[in-house]
Amino acid sequence: MTKDKEQHFVALLEKHQNIIHKVCRLYTYNYNAHNDLFQEITIQLWRAYPKFRGDSKFSTWMYRVGLNTAISLYRKSKRRIKTQDFSDIQFKISAEEYDDTEEQQLKLLYNAVRQLNDIEKALVFLYLENKNYREISETMGISEVNARVKMNRIKTKLRTILNP
Amino acid sequence: MDELEILKKDWQKDDANYPKLTFEEIYKMLLKKSSSIVKWIFIISILEFIFWALISYVLKDADYNKKFQEYQAENIMFSIMVFGYLIIIYFLVRFFMNYRTISVTDNAKILMENILKTRRTVKQYVAVNLGFIIISAFVVLGIQFNRDQQMVSIIDNAAANGELLKFYSITIIVTLVVLGLTVGVLLLFYYLIYGILLKRLNNNYKELKKLEV
Repeated sequence: MTKDKEQHFVALLEKHQNIIHKVCRLYTYNYNAHNDLFQEITIQLWRAYPKFRGDSKFSTWMYRVGLNTAISLYRKSKRRIKTQDFSDIQFKISAEEYDDTEEQQLKLLYNAVRQLNDIEKALVFLYLENKNYREISETMGISEVNARVKMNRIKTKLRTILNP
Repeated sequence: MDELEILKKDWQKDDANYPKLTFEEIYKMLLKKSSSIVKWIFIISILEFIFWALISYVLKDADYNKKFQEYQAENIMFSIMVFGYLIIIYFLVRFFMNYRTISVTDNAKILMENILKTRRTVKQYVAVNLGFIIISAFVVLGIQFNRDQQMVSIIDNAAANGELLKFYSITIIVTLVVLGLTVGVLLLFYYLIYGILLKRLNNNYKELKKLEV
């Protein structure tokens, strides 16, 4: 692996890092877990980078690797193990600020989404990122019809959580 | 407007609020070690190889070998050993092939299937090894019944007393109980390790499969 390629990769990641932060936002509930998952996704992206052929957009590819890491590879650990230290970095989103949305409704909505299971969260994530059903089905490995059906069920489920 | 649409609007305008890691911070992360499930399955399978290799090493200690030379059964023991190594080589190749097919860029379902396939190979490896231990134990027992001078005289005595059947059944039952306990403990151990490791992945895979029905 050439140094150039490494630099290029990191630059791309720096530019698109929000995608990873967003995955972490849905799948983790605290600062440490957020950092752990962010780091694991970065490692997985770097490992898979030689296979990235550029025929899809870098960001599209990041969605896939990020979600795969969150739902298939990542082990939620209670303890923090060998994690890059972020102590000198101020995360703008702290645990409390996650909930600090202006409207009460949004706060409830985010809480409801957190109660979904991993697969449902993945679908919601792609939906929130404005992906169409074709992209959702390709990322998850299910048919477009099933993605649609599931999405409707998730909406119903969210409604039930919000209005029990 | 439905709930998700409200959420989507907020989600997309939120872009500026995420943490911004610098080039250097991201760069440093590349050097860190992964702690993914796949890596753990790999580490565990390597430990298993070491474990089974140690077992065969222990079984092969010098006294034991001398005894089998006495029995003139080195050929049988040699074949068993070669067979054991063939099993290890076969599974090493399969493990390697499995790990090569695991790619984080596949879709979620294929990735999960490939991880679970690796898990199945580990399961088969364990089953074959346990079977191998059971068969070897009975081969060794058979050799001892026939060729161990001490054993032969005990058997002759038992035959003279009319207790041959009792003697054989007790020996075989004791062997079975010991084997049963060993296999039981090992299975419980594997069940715990993989059960804990793969619980979340299994659940997510089931959830995805459910969507197809």
